[in-house]
Amino acid sequence: MGVFLLRRAASSLSVLAMSVVLVFLSIRILPGDPVLAKLGAATEVTPEALVALREEAGLNRPLLVQLFSWIGDAFRGDLGVSYFSQFPVTQLVSERIPVTLEVTFFIIFIAVILALILAPLSTLKPGSIVDRVIGYSTSIGLSVPGFVIGIVLILIFSLTLQWLPSRGFIPISENLVENLKLMILPAVTGGLTATPYLVRYLRASMLEVKQSPFVRTAEGKGLSNVRVLFRHILPNSLVPTLTMLGLIVGYTLSGVVVIEYMYGLPGIGSLAIESAFKRDYAVIQGVALTIISFFILTTFVFDILCGIVDPRLRLAKGQKSEV
Amino acid sequence: MTSALVVKGLSLSVPSANGRVTVIDDLTFDIPAGRRVGLVGESGSGKSLTAYSLMRLIKEPVRIEKGEIFLDGQEILGMDIKKFRHLRGNDISMIYQDPMSALNPIMRIGAQIIESIQLHSDLNRAQARKAAIELLASVGIPEPDRRIDSYPFEMSGGMLQRVVIAIALSGEPKVLIADEATTALDVTTQARVLTLIDKLAAERGLSVLLITHDLGVAAQFSDELMVMYAGKLVERGSVNQIFSNAVHPYTKALLNSHCDYTTDVNKPINSIAGQPPRPDNRPTGCVFSPRCAHVQPECREKVPQIEMVHDRLTACFRAGELLELGAVNK
Amino acid sequence: MKFKWRYSFSGFLILLILGICLAAPILAPYDPNAIAVADAFSGPTAKNWMGADDLGRDSFSRILYGGRITILIAMAATLIALLIGTTWGLIAGVRRGWVDEFLMRTADATMAIPQILFALVCVSAVGASIISLPIVVGILLSPTTARMARSAVVTELSSDYVTAAIASGTKRSKLILSEVMPNIAPQLLVQLSINAAAAVMLEATLSFIGLGIQPPNASWGTLMLQGYAKIWNTYWFVFFPALAVTITILAFNAYGERIRVTMDSRRSSV
Repeated sequence: MGVFLLRRAASSLSVLAMSVVLVFLSIRILPGDPVLAKLGAATEVTPEALVALREEAGLNRPLLVQLFSWIGDAFRGDLGVSYFSQFPVTQLVSERIPVTLEVTFFIIFIAVILALILAPLSTLKPGSIVDRVIGYSTSIGLSVPGFVIGIVLILIFSLTLQWLPSRGFIPISENLVENLKLMILPAVTGGLTATPYLVRYLRASMLEVKQSPFVRTAEGKGLSNVRVLFRHILPNSLVPTLTMLGLIVGYTLSGVVVIEYMYGLPGIGSLAIESAFKRDYAVIQGVALTIISFFILTTFVFDILCGIVDPRLRLAKGQKSEV
Repeated sequence: MTSALVVKGLSLSVPSANGRVTVIDDLTFDIPAGRRVGLVGESGSGKSLTAYSLMRLIKEPVRIEKGEIFLDGQEILGMDIKKFRHLRGNDISMIYQDPMSALNPIMRIGAQIIESIQLHSDLNRAQARKAAIELLASVGIPEPDRRIDSYPFEMSGGMLQRVVIAIALSGEPKVLIADEATTALDVTTQARVLTLIDKLAAERGLSVLLITHDLGVAAQFSDELMVMYAGKLVERGSVNQIFSNAVHPYTKALLNSHCDYTTDVNKPINSIAGQPPRPDNRPTGCVFSPRCAHVQPECREKVPQIEMVHDRLTACFRAGELLELGAVNK
Repeated sequence: MKFKWRYSFSGFLILLILGICLAAPILAPYDPNAIAVADAFSGPTAKNWMGADDLGRDSFSRILYGGRITILIAMAATLIALLIGTTWGLIAGVRRGWVDEFLMRTADATMAIPQILFALVCVSAVGASIISLPIVVGILLSPTTARMARSAVVTELSSDYVTAAIASGTKRSKLILSEVMPNIAPQLLVQLSINAAAAVMLEATLSFIGLGIQPPNASWGTLMLQGYAKIWNTYWFVFFPALAVTITILAFNAYGERIRVTMDSRRSSV
């Protein structure tokens, strides 16, 4: 088990390293000058002043030096300073992370619950009306952009029925009920965006598992269809789906950015968007690093979960099972 | 002696390019209580489908068109499926072909046995676990209290098959179906598993339906043999009768083509000319007629019914004469 | 190899959408930017089929022109993704060894970056325009194509007919062009379709949050952004572009699915 963990960790870290470098390089290489952006078009800038400012921001150093210096700082917890607000990036990010975490958690929660209901329903009687309705719904669900789902939900629940608020955020520490009320629409929006992928994948996996001989053995014992589905088919379908779930989390994190913006949630997603408008590279970099790290951490965790669910995966290549 | 199992007029169909075609045709047989009956035939003859029908494990696209099956006097095909599930695995159970794939790979073997035990009894978890350990011991698994928590991939084929047998015996079965139970095992393990089944069946007074394409295995284990060809039962008799003087041309040809270590390696292997017909391509009249050495015009027109000819059941118009011929030639 | 998918409904739908949008200048009844305050806020009427926005501009015309922009960007992005991705995957699949490792790790790393985030980063640096968006989106979508191209090439190259061809002296480069490419073409087409759907979705999302096409130009996403601000009384500002986007994405996805299903059934029947 230990070796398994180490291997997975090494793999994740290498991917993390590469993505971070990619983000960093993209910002530096792409045309567009952060310093000019900071100054704004209105100011008249002498060439000397420009050079001086760039010097100050450290943008004249060779690329690699910039990269390593940033990474070094990042390790010490210093992600730089926002070009605009002068607040340390780390502070900005850590202030807003709890919101993102809360929303992401609820989104995944809803998506998983929905998938665990819909996929088995579909598989119980393949080809039935239930199965086909679920099938068409997932097709449509995949094709609707997340924000459109959000718009529809707001239209129905906020504007027409007036049941739920459509914007804003109140910390849990202040008021739990209001906080949850404000979380419902964003979480459902995100959940509905992610569910179709999950349901599709889980359903395909379950249908495949259904053909296996051991399912027949289970039925041969006299077990009911439902028990066979949940005790034998579903667990065996989870392994490939868990990997997919890791990816889904990635997509969700992507979608969270838009959802936070739409619903006025002060998380790191909306921070990223605001900074993008302002071309505040320091912040964008810091947010990107945080989000990517979370994503890779989640895929890592799901890989481990796979190992727990399916003991066969814990064996390394060439390692024999004890007899 | 009542029959543990009676099958009447069982017919199964599958879809084909031209609509549904029959794969098992009007199958009728019975298995008396405590008897061992072997069912032999080539691949595609319908042996496994017969087995699944007995457990009502037939799934689309295969369909049971008609027939009745009586388990200990109760008709089970027409029964409510929920009611039947109480019998399945309990009064009638099955041992499967490939033990490696017949067990849930991510569930400990103990849990799989306990699941079955608790389904058919009122035992609580602890009691069921004890019973499972005893069961594992009775099927010959060493250190059952340790093995009970193993995963299938940690055990060999022979051991796994014993686990499958254990599961099959976790209820109070009266009929045990062994569907090619030893085909996936090597010869020595085969022998051991067969001995085990033999012992357990004798201990519990079970009837056994042993399905195999291996005549040697069938002969060794069974009291009686049934021969199937292209979905029809063509002959039935005691092992002695069949091996000393088979009547049906197909049975004879089958016995003739049998090889073992006593066969002369210098002579070519006797095989039966031709191929078994596909379900959608069955000949009119006797289904074996295209390959039969004793075929007559009548055979191609009418379908021979299985009937008692002297001392055994066979489906052949020329059964009487062939029997005489066979007795003379001995 | 003539597949039946040429005549599928989704394929037809795609062509229809493409045709209508690209022909916007001909089909649109009004100039999309023509302000007519008198008609402002009107719902769907005979004069304005899909209503008019807050400045009286005809929604239908704006949707047609908006579609033109969205489709153009999506098509360009898809092509760029195809070109980059296929080359990427081909090189990796043919070269193997550490080149393969490195290229595929890079692909993984790119895929590890959540899409919107990556787009955000790039767009904030370069600005959003009709040129920059397809490039950014195209680069974003290329790793999946690369992975698919690589595995397809690897599979093909290990098949018997290739081994036979190499044994009889055919040059590898010629092989790839004449034999391997046609065989992986259907899979590439599936990828193309799926990428097109993703491109439309990405562009719409980016424009909706304001980092895409800027006013006065309007893609479907931008229209929805403008409509969202006025959603309280006039839902149809958002409704029609949303419908258009959804149908387009649905058509592309369905088409890709259709091809994939046809391919699978062909393979299993062989």
